[in-house]
Amino acid sequence: MSALRELQCAVGRAVLGLDEASIVKSIQGDGLDPAARLAIYRHHYLTSLTEALKAIYPVVCRLVDERFFAYAARAFIDQAPPQAPCLFEYGAAFPRFLAEFPAAAKLAYLPDVARLEWAINSALHAPAEAPVDGAAFAQVPVADYPRLVFCLQPSLRFLASDWPIDRIWQANRPENQSAEPVDLGEGGCRLEIRQQDDAVIFRRLDRGEFILRKALAGGRTLEEAAAAVLESDPLFDLAMALGRLMSEGLIAGFRLSSPDLTPEEISPC
Amino acid sequence: MTPQRDFAQMPQAPQAPLSGKAGIGLRAQHLAEVVASPPAVGWVEVHPENYMGGGPAFRALERVRAALPISLHGVGLSLGGTDGLSERHLARLTILVDRLQPALVSEHLSWSAVEGNYLNDLMPLPYTEESLKLVAGHIDQTQDRLRRRILIENPSSYLRYRHSTIPEPEFLAALVQLTGCGLLCDVNNIYVSGRNLGFDPTGYLAALPAEDIGEFHLAGHHVNPVGEGEILIDDHGSEVAGPVWALHRQALALIGARPTLIEWDCRIPPLPVLVAEAAKADALASASLKERDDVRAA
Repeated sequence: MSALRELQCAVGRAVLGLDEASIVKSIQGDGLDPAARLAIYRHHYLTSLTEALKAIYPVVCRLVDERFFAYAARAFIDQAPPQAPCLFEYGAAFPRFLAEFPAAAKLAYLPDVARLEWAINSALHAPAEAPVDGAAFAQVPVADYPRLVFCLQPSLRFLASDWPIDRIWQANRPENQSAEPVDLGEGGCRLEIRQQDDAVIFRRLDRGEFILRKALAGGRTLEEAAAAVLESDPLFDLAMALGRLMSEGLIAGFRLSSPDLTPEEISPC
Repeated sequence: MTPQRDFAQMPQAPQAPLSGKAGIGLRAQHLAEVVASPPAVGWVEVHPENYMGGGPAFRALERVRAALPISLHGVGLSLGGTDGLSERHLARLTILVDRLQPALVSEHLSWSAVEGNYLNDLMPLPYTEESLKLVAGHIDQTQDRLRRRILIENPSSYLRYRHSTIPEPEFLAALVQLTGCGLLCDVNNIYVSGRNLGFDPTGYLAALPAEDIGEFHLAGHHVNPVGEGEILIDDHGSEVAGPVWALHRQALALIGARPTLIEWDCRIPPLPVLVAEAAKADALASASLKERDDVRAA
């Protein structure tokens, strides 16, 4: 291993809080304890990442209070250091971490609230595509409908919870000064989260719409998605639901699932 | 599906090089305000890492670009990292540069990732022949990929390594020689590192290759007591300190006027406070120019 590689690995271990003994001797004291100099980087690593998590999870922070959040964030950062420089992408695993964090076990809804906050954050950083042209769609022969695969807006997220996480989120937004109590017994919700204009919005979907949209967003063919939704709701109006997807501008492209089509027959997707 | 397809299209005419008035660092808090009503500054600088998703923030930046020159000031490339440059990050930076054609692109003389972990800081390098070769190779790789010259900023440091052999300004000058890059002279960083590591900031300024400096940075710092002594933290959380303005006056005399930026990244004040700091930098640059002319006239 090169000298520089060895040094960076040792500094990295110190910043991650694993071991500083192997690097301290390489640092010039210049009148101070070399360990104190190194500690500045460790401190910045922890505080800046805690701030980044707090920016993504403000409602979780309010629900558990700042001190507990910092405690949980510190444990998470030690367990899952960032792997890339864009911090808006750091913290995807925080909801799962909270679900397994013994100190937060009493707040059963907390991981799902965190999932909602992550969905909002990731929707906010997704690009927006131009909605597909209705005329292009009209040219698809009806016989090909079952094989349709849609590309939906990249910001779309779908999240189901056993808890009323949308109401919990609304009541506990940092800017909401008069948090009204939420009845945890009122049951769960199925949410669609997406960009609209330059903000992120979310709303409840009924069971059929949620199943259909989630299946289509996951790349299932229309036939597969329709089968899933009709199994749970035989009276579901598929044509109306597709019309709503189109009129809301959520379809950004489509193709047919068969592999033997020429590229000209496939809308970019 | 390639979600960033549209985002990657549309080359634009490159923005003209910056001249005249000082610029300000643009942070998320002020983005909407700047889009709605561009402030009276010469240009703005952003961290590309905050705009790589391609969502509303990026679209707002495109609108800012229509009103003001912009500079992309990267913090995530890890030019000094032995992990090598992240292909994903370089590709995302290339998309932003191609799409925005900014007036300036810059990065840091530092490293920030090792063994796959991103340390979210500008870590100091030991200044050795080995480091020089590594950083120069990564600057070459970046400039080839972006098809343009980039500026490299001197970092603020809280420590130095015993086996460093090359003084920092000479290391930067060598990078210019090896790669054809330019330099971003952060005056606050020189002051902060000088105090933390015990070197003379004026001598440092004099050792930089003046003609290759393409930008100045100015920012506030925080004085932190440590044991018996103190360490200056480059937190960009206050007005530019008096001694840093004084050092900037020396920089203007030694190097000349360059596009100058006010950075303010934590405890961010209302926009007019930033604009007022930029105006101070303008006043200092004008005074320095006049002094030069007076000396020449005499």
